[in-house]
Amino acid sequence: MREGPLRDASIFVAAGMCGVASGLFGIGGGVLLVPFLALFFAFGQHRAQGTSLVALIPPTGLLAFLAYAKADFVSWQVGLLLIPGVFVGGILGGWLAKKLQPQRMRQVFAGLMFILGMWQAAAAWWH
Amino acid sequence: MNLIVILLGLGVGVLVGLLGIGGGVVLVPALVYLLRMDQHMAQGTSLLILLPPVGLGALREYWKQEQVDLRAGILCALGILVGGYVGGLIAVPIASRQLRGLFGCFLMLAAFLLLKKPQAQGLPKSSADEGRNRA
Repeated sequence: MREGPLRDASIFVAAGMCGVASGLFGIGGGVLLVPFLALFFAFGQHRAQGTSLVALIPPTGLLAFLAYAKADFVSWQVGLLLIPGVFVGGILGGWLAKKLQPQRMRQVFAGLMFILGMWQAAAAWWH
Repeated sequence: MNLIVILLGLGVGVLVGLLGIGGGVVLVPALVYLLRMDQHMAQGTSLLILLPPVGLGALREYWKQEQVDLRAGILCALGILVGGYVGGLIAVPIASRQLRGLFGCFLMLAAFLLLKKPQAQGLPKSSADEGRNRA
């Protein structure tokens, strides 16, 4: 898609859909945003990942978080303990991404995610 | 238990950098299964973790390689902010068990999308795109 207001608007709408998933499932949204950018806007894999990280720098989940916090669905102790690890691990992963074939990595990750998803759905509904 | 939590964070962080994702998609099941959290609690805690810029270190690595579209990234941030509020409002009243099942379905869908992505690297279309954005 060519650059311009139409492309901008499309990106905003696509990201809004990622946002609904983000609030609904308590995730960052990057897991949808990366394939969206690549599939609909012809981003290369590395570029899609880098751009997705930009979108995750500001506290984009803030409004969703407030909705959960108001309902008392937050464990502060575990959350605060996890933050430093994720940050340091992120540097490591960004460095690794340059060395590895991200396509292959993504395939392995997608496979694991699919199995995990099936497991969760089965555990919730299979009684 | 605290050590497990810190190691878990490190592992999730590697995925953040490697795949350019927020990490919540891994965090939520990890909190549910490893720490026995309720589905809503896991999702709220995951959102708390994603509030500070945990991906900043990873972003720096991509930035150095000029693999970032800043304009698109900012638009995406705005879209996610607005959409996230809507999603949060939908999630809170859903029963925890239903939400866990939905989350599982979402994971399968996301996995499918990740696999479906064309091999953009090296395609003329994507290199043209990268050249244009850099200019």
